[in-house]
Amino acid sequence: MSEHDTTSRRGILASLAMGAGLVAAYGVLGLQGLAFLLPKRLRPKTRLLYAGRIDDYEIGGVKTLYDLEGTPVLVQRSEEGFTAFDSTCPHLGCKVHWEPDNNRFFCPCHNGEFRPDGVAYAGPPADAGQSLATMNVEANPDAGVVYLEVKDVKRRNA
Amino acid sequence: MTLNMKRWIVAGLSFLFLAALLVVAMQESKRHRIEEGLEPVVTKTNKGCVDCHRTDNPALVMEWEHSQHAIYGVGCVDCHEADEGDIDGWMHEGVFMSVLVTPKDCSECHVREFEEFSRSHHARAGEIIMSLDNVLAIKAASTPDNPADAINGCWQCHGTIIDFERDENGEIIRTGKENRPVIDSNTWPNSGMGRFNPDGSKGSCHACHSRHSFDVRIARSPDNCGKCHMGPDHPQIEIFNESKHGIAYRANVDRMALDKKEWILGRDYAAAPTCATCHISGHMTPQGVEVGNSHDIGERISWTLRPKVSSKLNQVTFTDGYQKDFPHTKAIPAVGDVVMTHEKVVENFKLTTKDVERTVASVKTWEERRKAMTMACRNCHNDHFIDNFYQQFDDLVNLYNDKFGQPSLDIMNELTADGVVDSGAPFSTELDWVYFELWHHEGRRARHGASMMGPDYTHWHGMYEVAHNFYNEFLPLVVEAAEEHSHAMGRKWKTKVDQLLSSPDHAWVKGLSPEEAQALAAEYKARYNQ
Amino acid sequence: MSSSNSSSRFSGMAERANELFPMDWELLRHAGAEPVPYHLKKWWFCLGGTPMVLFVVQVITGIMLTFYYVPSPDHAYASVETITHGVRFGWFIRSIHMWSSKFMIVAVFLHMLRVFFTRAYRNPRQLNWMVGVMLLGLTMTFGFTGYSLVYEQLSFWGATVGCNLASALPVIGPYVGDFLRGGPEIGAQTLTRFFMLHVAILPIVAFLLLSLHVMVIRLHGVTELQFEGEVITDDNRFFRFWPEHVTMEILVGVLLMYLLAILALIFPAGLGAQADPTTTPAHIKPEWYFYFNFRLLKLTSLKMSVALTGFLGGLLFFWPFIDGWIEKRLGNRSDRIVVLIGAVAFLAFLGLTVWEAVAAH
Repeated sequence: MSEHDTTSRRGILASLAMGAGLVAAYGVLGLQGLAFLLPKRLRPKTRLLYAGRIDDYEIGGVKTLYDLEGTPVLVQRSEEGFTAFDSTCPHLGCKVHWEPDNNRFFCPCHNGEFRPDGVAYAGPPADAGQSLATMNVEANPDAGVVYLEVKDVKRRNA
Repeated sequence: MTLNMKRWIVAGLSFLFLAALLVVAMQESKRHRIEEGLEPVVTKTNKGCVDCHRTDNPALVMEWEHSQHAIYGVGCVDCHEADEGDIDGWMHEGVFMSVLVTPKDCSECHVREFEEFSRSHHARAGEIIMSLDNVLAIKAASTPDNPADAINGCWQCHGTIIDFERDENGEIIRTGKENRPVIDSNTWPNSGMGRFNPDGSKGSCHACHSRHSFDVRIARSPDNCGKCHMGPDHPQIEIFNESKHGIAYRANVDRMALDKKEWILGRDYAAAPTCATCHISGHMTPQGVEVGNSHDIGERISWTLRPKVSSKLNQVTFTDGYQKDFPHTKAIPAVGDVVMTHEKVVENFKLTTKDVERTVASVKTWEERRKAMTMACRNCHNDHFIDNFYQQFDDLVNLYNDKFGQPSLDIMNELTADGVVDSGAPFSTELDWVYFELWHHEGRRARHGASMMGPDYTHWHGMYEVAHNFYNEFLPLVVEAAEEHSHAMGRKWKTKVDQLLSSPDHAWVKGLSPEEAQALAAEYKARYNQ
Repeated sequence: MSSSNSSSRFSGMAERANELFPMDWELLRHAGAEPVPYHLKKWWFCLGGTPMVLFVVQVITGIMLTFYYVPSPDHAYASVETITHGVRFGWFIRSIHMWSSKFMIVAVFLHMLRVFFTRAYRNPRQLNWMVGVMLLGLTMTFGFTGYSLVYEQLSFWGATVGCNLASALPVIGPYVGDFLRGGPEIGAQTLTRFFMLHVAILPIVAFLLLSLHVMVIRLHGVTELQFEGEVITDDNRFFRFWPEHVTMEILVGVLLMYLLAILALIFPAGLGAQADPTTTPAHIKPEWYFYFNFRLLKLTSLKMSVALTGFLGGLLFFWPFIDGWIEKRLGNRSDRIVVLIGAVAFLAFLGLTVWEAVAAH
């Protein structure tokens, strides 16, 4: 072994190879460690819930169901099919409800009024041009049943 | 070791380490999170029920929680809710409900299964209430005011006409502060396959799909069918257990995928067939096509092995979905023909026959039904094997038919015409009983044994018993009964029986030929040194 | 823009940096070039450095695992399951941590064997041997508390046996047992205590002892050894700490990481059934480094085996002085005797371990 090794051409080459190898390997290891620490961004898991039979709904009618967190979901049957509305008011988060007599969804907090298709036509949400959020709902005409897609929360009671 | 050498080694090791880390990354990307089982969902509708019944009937609720129904949030009220005015309904804790959940209730969601089941033989199992078997249970084995044998026996498989306790005015008795209608204990609990329900539907899905877990494992397990298909008159489960199919099933039950959502033979499992595999469930075809299941239980059956004389069955479906089997000895109606059918219906809680004219929609010949069965066989066996099997099976059924079934039936018919046997008093003579066992027990065992490859049931429990009965009990009793009727009748039947026994099929009774006798003696000497 | 201009600006920045962080780089270069004795070039003299590398691996992976681990009986097992099955690379990090702990034990053993058979513990280095023995005990305690945290069946029953064993110590036993368990029974408190030991107390103690260990080496200077047939000239008598020795340590580090990664891939850390305080599994064994003790427990009574373990531990701890006594009595012949004693002790340890490993019960 001679001290000239370090500065000779072969020495530099060896140092470079070693450096590159170490940086690459520990670099990848570091990235994997980072991946370990970063929380996974999972798409929220969903599951189907039985939402009654098609015949349980009259056309133009709305049934109130509950997702697994207990939040009311307003399932509506129209000529076109089924629509499920999140009952949370887009204005400040109160719960809207269906008023069959007035043919509207109504938010009691600040008098937000929504058409049957979920679009606000009066009150603060109308001023802001907001609509009720929708959720997936599937009707299976063969079996005659309706399924509502809700977020899967691990708990027993909904 | 020089410094440079060390550096090169470090570089080399680094790249090896890097390679290992890349394999780790690959492994990581291939990994899927283990699917966790979904938890049961108790919806707001069912919360009230579950809250009480979790204490009242904890295991019942636990079983429901184990069901697929619970996973989709289908709960108590969804099935038990009754329609306004239903005779079996009452107001219970704010819900108008019934304890009876009938195929019609299940059909709210399971439409196809309901239609298939309702036209099937299974749905008609209750029609036995009008048959000879029922006479035995209700009359011979029971007393006029206690038909307990029929209630605990026949009807638990075949089904009852569900009825209610009534007062002297015929009004349904109601009990408790909720006014619950009281179901007649003679008719329920009952999960008979062909139960007549108050809503007009026939059958009970629970017969195979036991509540409240409705676990597919139960429906697919042979033991499930064995609840009824067993015993001296139709020992299908015993035959299955004896057969190579049953042996493979028990040995490989862990490879049967009994709890898989889809259960297609040749795709999801292969280890063995169960009853369901061949008669109900789906399978692959040699063309690689997936054939789904059908709850029409007899669809793939080509012989009927139940009656005194077996026949092949052509299946006629009418425009209204009603189905009827035509024996191969009868002409098959053409599509569009109008045919008079005699349907068994319940009217006013009594079974009656209704004559209905129906138009033929389609015909499935016995050959087509057999073809459908062979598609399941083909998953494991080749054509040659299957064809030869059916030849063996057909030969046995024909043997029974020709040598014992048809002759004994002819004799009984003629005896009735002669007035020796009284058709108005079934089971009044020993001859009735002996003849009944000949075809209903022994003859069926032989035929069923051959149909599902159970050699011992075919021979020792079957044809041997048939022959033993026919020669040693049935024929002597025929002469005896005729003699009892009148001496002339006795002489007539003595002659007829002698004639029958001298026909080539029965000529062996007269003894072996000298050559045969010598050969047999030599064989015994060689084997047992006697 | 001229080059002199930019270089002067550069040196100006360097001066400024030196002002903010007044480091004497010359001194560092000098210190880094400290000569290392020739014999350290042999690979088996790196065994003392190996635990250092592994210690760093354990600290880093350990901290990472703590991000997800929950030290409560209700959640411990589930959180380990999450690490193993849910978190990205969780299985890998956990497997590295597990394999590294096994490596650590092996490395410490080997290091000890090397020191023993070269009799490097002799006067004036007795103290460092004793620190080393303490580090060995610490390493095993690390392993014991570590696998208890997983809260699988082996963890629970291992912890049960361990705590009860500690309770059997004379006089202080019941107090040590209670201290470990956090009560008379294994319970929620036990897991928290084991967790605190594993992630806080033991690492601090280990760090202090390790620093002491290295410091004492540096104060004494590393023993110079010459083997028969070796020619050591003034030229090659020493080599430099930097870069030669450091490169060697880097080499050992990468080699270890490579082996750990391969083992993690082929034999990833598994997860047995969850701890069930009501059922002891039919087949239960501790980690292999406790096998000799486990076998001892089966061979003798509880009191006897505790006493025996204590006696043997004491023997190991005070060995340098016993060695000194032997040397005083036997002079030159002592070399052979010491090697013999060491060999017999090691073989006995190995024998018990293998016996326990192959025996079903």
